[in-house]
Amino acid sequence: MRSDMGLIVKTTARATIPLIGIFGAYVVSHGHLTPGGGFQGGATIAGAGILFLIAFGFGEMKKRYNHHLYSVLEGFGGLVFLGAAMLGLGVAFFYNALWHEGPILNGQPGTLLSAGYLPIMNLAVGLKVFTGLISALFAIAAYRRWRE
Amino acid sequence: MAFIATFVWCYILWLVLTAGSKGMLWSTEELIAGVIFSAIVAYATRNVIGEKASRFLNPVKWVGFIVYSIGPLFWGMVKANFDVAYRVITGRIKPGIVRVPVDLENDAQYTILSNSITLTPGTLTIDACPEEKALYVHWINVTDPHPESSEVLAGSFEKWARRLGR
Repeated sequence: MRSDMGLIVKTTARATIPLIGIFGAYVVSHGHLTPGGGFQGGATIAGAGILFLIAFGFGEMKKRYNHHLYSVLEGFGGLVFLGAAMLGLGVAFFYNALWHEGPILNGQPGTLLSAGYLPIMNLAVGLKVFTGLISALFAIAAYRRWRE
Repeated sequence: MAFIATFVWCYILWLVLTAGSKGMLWSTEELIAGVIFSAIVAYATRNVIGEKASRFLNPVKWVGFIVYSIGPLFWGMVKANFDVAYRVITGRIKPGIVRVPVDLENDAQYTILSNSITLTPGTLTIDACPEEKALYVHWINVTDPHPESSEVLAGSFEKWARRLGR
């Protein structure tokens, strides 16, 4: 039984997977300016990975997927979120020190480099959601005991 | 080369999404962030887009795509929509699946032709078989059950697809 799709689906997936990825990156990085943010953008990027899994099949995904890398990146996303939250620990937990006296990310509100630690946290949550969803979906796709 | 093609493809979409951050143009920080995120996405998906995708970086091909989409494709869609409206009102349909032999070489050409056939109402590509050089098309009004070429149901689309996907 073939586990991948036909030629048209594959070729369209080749063209659209990078576009879905960059749109998800846009949603994540503009989470403090436009609707969306870490979770929504991360789920969008995970959609690109799921499109790859469905269009090219489990065998192709197995060659590209590295469980250790995804596991490390998911933990790294959580740690970056925690680290950003501890930046202003001299005043309080989650005190937005970068916004009040930080060297970067304290620009004019409405521009990309504003809002203190929010962009960092959005990127961390986006990375965590993306890697977590891909790992979960890959594990579900790998569970094939009914074939035995 | 596939990395460059993916990078350009991603960066164009980033520029479209972030236009207007400085007047009608782009602020410097958006441009730099676009380079960084496009590089990350392009590095992650460099093996997905295909080795020969850099041939689509040719500007002559972009002009070809624009001319095709606002010229033959749009006109074909307008004509076919009126034809389907006529068939809805009168009920004169004769549906069937036909095998259409085509003379194409690569995946991109098959995709362009199949999507063009699906976009024009009344015809729907069901499967593309490159090994037997044929498309299977569901047709609302079969006038020729064994067509010799795609001319009878797709007009000049095959010629355009061969040129654009080369």
